[in-house]
Amino acid sequence: FKRVSAVNLRSFIGCAVREFTFLAKKPGCGGMHITTDACWGRCETWEKPVLEFPFIESYQRVCTYNKSRLVTVKLPKCRPNVDPTYTYPVALRCDCGVCLTSTTECIASV
Amino acid sequence: HDGLVPGCHLFPFNVTIRSDRRSTCKGSHVLHACVGYCESSAFPSRYSVLVASNFTHNITSASRCCTISKDAKVRKGRGAEDPSYLEASVMFCSSSLPPQVKVRLDCPRGRHHDEIEILTARACRCDMCRKSRY
Repeated sequence: FKRVSAVNLRSFIGCAVREFTFLAKKPGCGGMHITTDACWGRCETWEKPVLEFPFIESYQRVCTYNKSRLVTVKLPKCRPNVDPTYTYPVALRCDCGVCLTSTTECIASV
Repeated sequence: HDGLVPGCHLFPFNVTIRSDRRSTCKGSHVLHACVGYCESSAFPSRYSVLVASNFTHNITSASRCCTISKDAKVRKGRGAEDPSYLEASVMFCSSSLPPQVKVRLDCPRGRHHDEIEILTARACRCDMCRKSRY
């Protein structure tokens, strides 16, 4: 698989690991900016008219984690009674696929 | 993926409609689908999402999919050989600007010609992924 940083983002087709920075934060602790590997890309999707109900056939795949590992960090400035650990996934491999609601918060539109 | 371009575009394809299983009357037409490559991403979930999902959703996926931007409809014409064959299409009612195409069905011995109105895409856009979840 490719890393997105090595290709032209405007024309990239497919799904790849891409660097992503987010603020890890939880109640009772200070925040921490974390740079990690996540997934980004453009997957093939389509809709076509068909004669039978529901009259539109869809094929929808999204760029998401195929393989990941968990990393745990300690957040700064936590209150004494608060667990300072924060665990997040690091993408090892990304692919076009369905959004698995068992592990993923699937936001249908952005 | 050489030669493919990002975005969501009209894509023509041929459809053949038959009045019944024996193809007593039939007609063909070029319809349009929407096919393309829209942006999607997946990243670590916010803490509020982790709490709300009982720490099961540690990934958040945000995506858009290639969709037919103006919905359309299907309606049937007159005098089909087997009206029940087309019954389902009558149930699907139209919205404001129906991108319909009339397809003429040619019958043997010139007895009659049915016209079937069917949906086709007129425009496409990257929009909500309604059916990408599993």
